[in-house]
This record gives sequence, C-alpha cells and structure tokens, in this order.
Amino acid sequence: MKTVVRTEKLTKRFGDLTAVDGIDLDVHEGEVFGFLGPNGAGKTTTLRLLCALIAPTSGTAEIAGHRLGRDDAKIRAAVGILTELPGLYERQSAWDNLVFYATLYGLAPSVSRAQAERYLRLMGLWERRDEPVVTFSRGMKQKMAIARAALHEPRVLFLDEPTTGLDPDAAKTVREFIVALRGEGRTVFLCTHNLDEADRLCDRIAFFRHRVLRIANPDELRAEFYGRATEIRLVPKPRAEDLVRVQAVPGVREAHLENGSIVVASTDPLHTNPLLVKTLVDGGADIAFVTERKPHLEEVYLRIVEPIE
Amino acid sequence: MIAVVAASPARPTLVRAVCVREWREALGNKLLVGMTLLPPVVILVSGIAAVAAAAVNPPSDRDVQALYAAAPAVAGLDPREAVQGFIATYFLILFMLIPTVVPLTMAIYSVIGEKASRTLEPLLATPVGVGDLLFAKSLASTVPSVIVTWSAYAIYLATVIAIGSHAAVQAVTAPRWILAIVVLVPLLTLLSVNLGILISTRVNDVRVAQQIGGLVVVPIVGLGIAQVTGRVVLDNGAFLQMTIVLILLDVAVFWLARLAFQRENILVRWR
Repeated sequence: MKTVVRTEKLTKRFGDLTAVDGIDLDVHEGEVFGFLGPNGAGKTTTLRLLCALIAPTSGTAEIAGHRLGRDDAKIRAAVGILTELPGLYERQSAWDNLVFYATLYGLAPSVSRAQAERYLRLMGLWERRDEPVVTFSRGMKQKMAIARAALHEPRVLFLDEPTTGLDPDAAKTVREFIVALRGEGRTVFLCTHNLDEADRLCDRIAFFRHRVLRIANPDELRAEFYGRATEIRLVPKPRAEDLVRVQAVPGVREAHLENGSIVVASTDPLHTNPLLVKTLVDGGADIAFVTERKPHLEEVYLRIVEPIE
Repeated sequence: MIAVVAASPARPTLVRAVCVREWREALGNKLLVGMTLLPPVVILVSGIAAVAAAAVNPPSDRDVQALYAAAPAVAGLDPREAVQGFIATYFLILFMLIPTVVPLTMAIYSVIGEKASRTLEPLLATPVGVGDLLFAKSLASTVPSVIVTWSAYAIYLATVIAIGSHAAVQAVTAPRWILAIVVLVPLLTLLSVNLGILISTRVNDVRVAQQIGGLVVVPIVGLGIAQVTGRVVLDNGAFLQMTIVLILLDVAVFWLARLAFQRENILVRWR
C-alpha cells in the first residue's frame, strides 16, 4: 500500500507549549484516516504542519511525495484543506470564489471554469452560483469550502470538522462526498469530534493528544477493548435458565442480560454462536435476532484518550 | 475527465486575480468607496473653487504684501495673478494628500477585512508565495489610488487652464509639478499602502489602524504649511530630495511589511 503522508518524530513547539510531540504517521493512498482528539490536543496544528502552512520545530514529513520544508509550494499544490471556518469571500458569488481559488492553484482559465462547475454541481449549488455567498446557509458555506478544498483535485484532502453545524441532509452530502473521494483513490485526513462519523467513514483512526496515542481500524479497537460480543434477542424475553445454559456453553467468557437480550462475549464467535443458538433452541427459547454487538467508538475513545488527563 | 495539475500560478496571473478580487470586494463596500472618493473630491472641488474665487475677488493690499513676502516667486506680478498662482500651487501640495489617505484605507480594509472574515488561512494554503501575495495586495490598493489622484489632477489642470490666470496656469503646468505628480504620487501611494498593511498586521480594528496610519499625512501637511509661510521653497532640488527619501522609505517599509507577512506569523500570531 502506497504511503502519501509519512511523518517521523514531527514536533511543533510554541514557546514552552509542545502542541505536537514527535508524531509518527503513515497514511495510505485511498484511505480515510480519522484524527481524533479533544479540543486543544494539537489537531489543527498538525493539519497546518502537514499542509506546509507552518514549519515544524523538529522531525520530518513527506506529503504526496514532497519533503516538508523543501517543497512546501508543491505540498500545498498537492493537498487541499478545509479549515475550521469556511473563510469565503462573502460579498462575492459562489462562482467567483471558486474560480479565484482555481486560479491561485495555477489552473488554466478553461480548467478553472470546468472545475468550478463540476464542484458546484456536485455540492448541489450550481443553481445559486451567481449569488453572493453571504446569502448562503451555514451548510451551503461549508459545502462551498469543501468544494474549494477539492477543486484542484488534491491527492490528500485534510478536512477539519467537515460536518460540524450541518443539518443531517448537508452532513449526508459531505459524507457521501468523502466516500466518493476514497472511491477515486484519494486520501482523506479527517479531523473530527464526531465519533459516529469517524466510525462510519474511517479505515483507520488515530487517537491523538499532542502525540499519537493509538492508530487502528475501528473494529480492531473494539475487539481489543471489548472482545467480540454477540447479542441474542429472545421473545418474549430471556429467562434466568436461558442465561445459565448460555454461560455453560464452551468458549463463552462472559454473558449477561441486557434490555431483553443476552449479551455474550466469546473468544471465537464463529464456533461459539452456532452452539449458543442450538443450546437456546433446545432449551425451548424463541430467538428473534442474533447480531454482533458493537460497542460505540466513544467507549473506546474515552478509554484511550481520557486517562491521560 | 479533465487533467487537473495544480501548481504555483504565474506572478502576472496571481496579481491580476488578486487585484480583480480585491476591487470587486471594495466596490461592494459602500463605506470604503465613500471613504476612498471623499478626500479627492473635497480637495478637487476646494481647489477649483479657490482658484475661481481668486479670479473673481481682488485681494486686499495687505494680503498682496503678505503674499509677496511669503512667496518671492510671485513678487512683482499683478496681485490677482499672484494670488491665483499661489493658490493653484498650494492646492497642488494638497493633491499629495490623496495618495496618503486613499490607499491607506484600501490597504487596511484589504488585510483587516481578511483577518475578520478568516479568509487568510485558505488563501495561504494555496501554492502562492507570500511575497507575491503581498505584492499583489499592494498593487491592488496602489493602482486605483494612483488613477484617482491622476484623474483629480487632470481635472484640476484642465479647469485651471480654462478659468485661471497666466500665473496659475504656469504653476500647475510647471514641469517639476507634473513630474512630482507622475513620480511622487506612486511613491507616496506605495508607502501608504505598505504602512497600512504593516499596521493592519498588528491591530484588528479598522478605525484604530486608520488613526495610526493617518500620521503619514502629517509631513505632507507640514510641507504645505512650510510653503505657505515661505519657510520652504519647493524647487527642483527639493523634489529630487523628496523622491530619494520616498524611494528609501518605500523599500524599508515594504521590507518590514514582508517580514510581518509570513505564513506562520499570520496564522499563529495575528489575532
């Protein structure tokens, strides 16, 4: 797998404050990489470092094949960034905003116009292209800012809280856009507080507070922290003897009753689950559903990130 | 699918794009347009009215004697001619105020406006060089200001030729004044613009920036007073000295503005 963002001991200090403390990252081409951490953890500083907007205090980084500190203009041409606030020229039209930025990314006039049209259509803003941005809703402005970040077809797109403050419809458009980018083989570096969104979109997640605490796939993290759990819903509801039978099945580590279901943690669900079903059916229980129990990513986050405080 | 290859834009392309954007933004701001056009209109109308009034109202003997004492160059001329010539010259100095006031306002709005609307970070995330960006921003404020000053001077010139005395016409068409308008106006404008940008990096309030930047008019006003009172005679040597001083000041202030206009400074330190 090709690496598009690689950092080694990347550090940024502001006086006595170490905002980014020796991070090592390998972000692959075509993946959505989540970057999760609390406010003030240094996420925005990391983004600025990786977009060659500020210089590191120490350490090295290579972004889209370009060395940070040596090829900064090339890095900025190869990446796109969605900043915390849209930062659009509000008195100007959507069209003028995008064409202006396309020009600054060195696109030829005909390409600039074609790209502006493509992204305005993609974001559902084409019909309002001639209106000043000041008349747009928060969601429309955010979509404009995303269009601006992607306009020059960057290899890596850094998105800082892309769906914050958006209504569900706008947020869905943005998430679909991120998935489409991944489909095109582009890399998305996603800073977010929205753990549900990170869970749905990200191939891997880095938990971060000034330094990288952990990088893994969301499912791997859940399995590591909570094991693999199965939820068996019985009708009308589980009986005490059902739980006793389940607990006696070989391979079951732990089982308990929860909201009308039996929740079972086992070492090898592939072997254990058929036995569980057979045992319950033989015992006269009526099974409505057997599903995998996924703990919310928030529980993992709180266990990894919070204890540092 | 179109092949899209992003890169740093060519400098003329960048300058054109930034200028057009800034001018559109400025034209959409009625307050800024008003503040930009008011000083030249006031100076122009006052200048024309003063020259016209001097042509109609004969000066008193006392005024004439005071004028001969303060401005030896007009001594011996017909009193009405002398007064018109003196007023026409005095207003030429006031024209030098336009390039200090007009671009200052534009430059301040250009930077503080971007700070307030948080548009600088996306702008700096593009592959453009900050030096080029600063240059483009300077030019975006300089060009309209120079055009406004030259236009006001052209109208003044045409009006004085039409209604003024021989002395007044001679004063406003003197080669050293035409050269001053052509050379000193752009130099003063650049100084004012880069001073405005420099001040805007440190403050967030347009009014505060204007008050600080307004100090740049003090030397011009001082020069006008010195000339009226006869303490300074603006001859060729004085213009040459002013040109050299302004070139040095322009270089120094642009260098300082360039130092303040660094990506990291803008993103981390500017508030």
